[in-house]
Amino acid sequence: MRIPKVTAALAALLLTAGLAGCSVDRSQPDASKPTIRIAYQTFPSGDLIVKNKRWLEDALPEYNIKWTKFDSGADVNTAFIAKEVDFGALGSSPVARGLSAPLNIPYSVAFILDVAGDNEALVARNGTGIETVADLRGKRVATPFASTAHYSLLAALDQAGLSAGDVQLIDLQPQAILAAWERGDIAAAYTWLPTLDQLSKNGKTLITSRDLAERGKPTLDLAAVSNSFAKDNPEVVDVWRRQQARALTGIADDPRAAAAAVAAEVGLGPDDVAQQLKKAVFLTPAEVASPQWLGSDGKPGNLAANLESASRFLADQKQIPAPAALTVFQNALYTQGLPDVLTR
Amino acid sequence: MSAPVDVAPDESLPAIRGPVSAGRLTRAALPALSVVAFFGAWQLAAATGIWNQTFVPFPSTVWRAFIDTSTVHDGVRGYAGYLLWEHLYMTLRRVLVGVVIGVAAGVALGVVMGSVGWVRRIVEPWLTFLRALPPLAYFFLLVIWLGIDEAPKITLLALAALPPAAVATTAAVAAAPVSLVEAARALGASRAQVIRDVVIPAVLPETFTGIRLAVGMAYSSVVAAELFNGIPGVGGLVKDASNYNNTPVVLVGIFAIGISGLVIDGALRAVERRAVPWRGHV
Repeated sequence: MRIPKVTAALAALLLTAGLAGCSVDRSQPDASKPTIRIAYQTFPSGDLIVKNKRWLEDALPEYNIKWTKFDSGADVNTAFIAKEVDFGALGSSPVARGLSAPLNIPYSVAFILDVAGDNEALVARNGTGIETVADLRGKRVATPFASTAHYSLLAALDQAGLSAGDVQLIDLQPQAILAAWERGDIAAAYTWLPTLDQLSKNGKTLITSRDLAERGKPTLDLAAVSNSFAKDNPEVVDVWRRQQARALTGIADDPRAAAAAVAAEVGLGPDDVAQQLKKAVFLTPAEVASPQWLGSDGKPGNLAANLESASRFLADQKQIPAPAALTVFQNALYTQGLPDVLTR
Repeated sequence: MSAPVDVAPDESLPAIRGPVSAGRLTRAALPALSVVAFFGAWQLAAATGIWNQTFVPFPSTVWRAFIDTSTVHDGVRGYAGYLLWEHLYMTLRRVLVGVVIGVAAGVALGVVMGSVGWVRRIVEPWLTFLRALPPLAYFFLLVIWLGIDEAPKITLLALAALPPAAVATTAAVAAAPVSLVEAARALGASRAQVIRDVVIPAVLPETFTGIRLAVGMAYSSVVAAELFNGIPGVGGLVKDASNYNNTPVVLVGIFAIGISGLVIDGALRAVERRAVPWRGHV
């Protein structure tokens, strides 16, 4: 009689745990309303302000908003392929990959969250004698693979006349870069804040993403919307873009409040975040809708050329089989109603 | 957690080893048939087009990825600069070193735990604690402490291999037949002779099962171990390809890990049959 009792108790425990598991999730979706699924990442951006201040929830009361945190653009791409998200934040490098074959993800770029500036940089450790990018030949350089920093590192090497094979590239996430750096296992790293700050303390900055942007290889953080969702819900995309524009204006006009909102989302101090926000480049809503970036309704901007160049670069690096055509990227810029829709 | 270990009925049993018969034919044909059925179902699933190619690529696409990763093609050497066998070789080398260290420590620990009660009471909770931890949970600490080269990877694999070997050996030593031990002593055997001729033969079969489990545990931790700076390495290859949503290469890596796991387990079983032919007959 003992064993069945124990079994029954175990079964009851499992059942309770299984049911209780749901109740930890605080967002209680209302079954009567449609749900908008948003993939966000924790790099400092207006997206986090929109989330923190619940602007979308307030502007779209007739929808459930489901925010899901992702750690990399590759994961966001996977979620788009699986049709599990409607909006997603990801870097320009994953977007260029997603829009090229074989992925051909049916999504469009609907907003520019930020342009990488001094928040992403290549730093060489003091004592290694590395003064320029060209000195990296034969040295161990770490970067998180498949990220915008990886793309920037390859572009920097390329401009210095080095190929990826001339240095020892190592795939490390930022926390591991810091560990390897302090142990002296790597000579240089291309990474982003806050790790970058700690590396800079005993290192020399060789090149930043701001320099690379000036030399025609910008990297950006973008927000994409799935094509089917945008087609069925253009008014939701309009509301969403207005909230993103509002966040950009907020970063420019009231950086302290913006930093506080971002800090609450990423778990850092507001002062640290304020520093980080200063180092990235946040466009104004007017700039986002300018010919240099997204462009306006019917006139896709220069961002398409940037993405096409990234796609060509990825193909050269054998990360994708072949680059996609410029028209693919032009068609993938969601410019409907720009620029007026941002200010209405 | 699918360790390539299954405790199938021992094939060395004389009852099964009959003359060549229909039974034997079936035994060879069934696995082959299941493989054919698997590839057929796969091809069909891909051909229906319900799923995106990124989720269910065609078998032929995966085959092409296998060829690409195994050869030098348009100036590119395999995947990420290394051929598939080089990735596999590095992984196997890490697994071998890790398992040798982990099993040696585990068996030694198991013998002590099995013979000395208070050691067992002290060590066992720690062992269970270690066993309950997913390697991913503590791998970052190993990177901080040991760097990004071979040391943290091998340590992780050794830590994964240690508990199964220790637990199996402990149980076996504790269960060594007292009657045989006492009989040997009564016949005038020394303590060393008892250990050599009675305890070790009694413990070996269980230990072998422990070793096979340990290899399985280490093998299933390969991707975790090669999460940082894992190239060359099959685990690193799988992780890198999944970063690029490159499903065909991910599948090539999974097949390479799975098939080499099968081969290793088969080899271990063959060694086991040679080394402990008395298994199941004591």
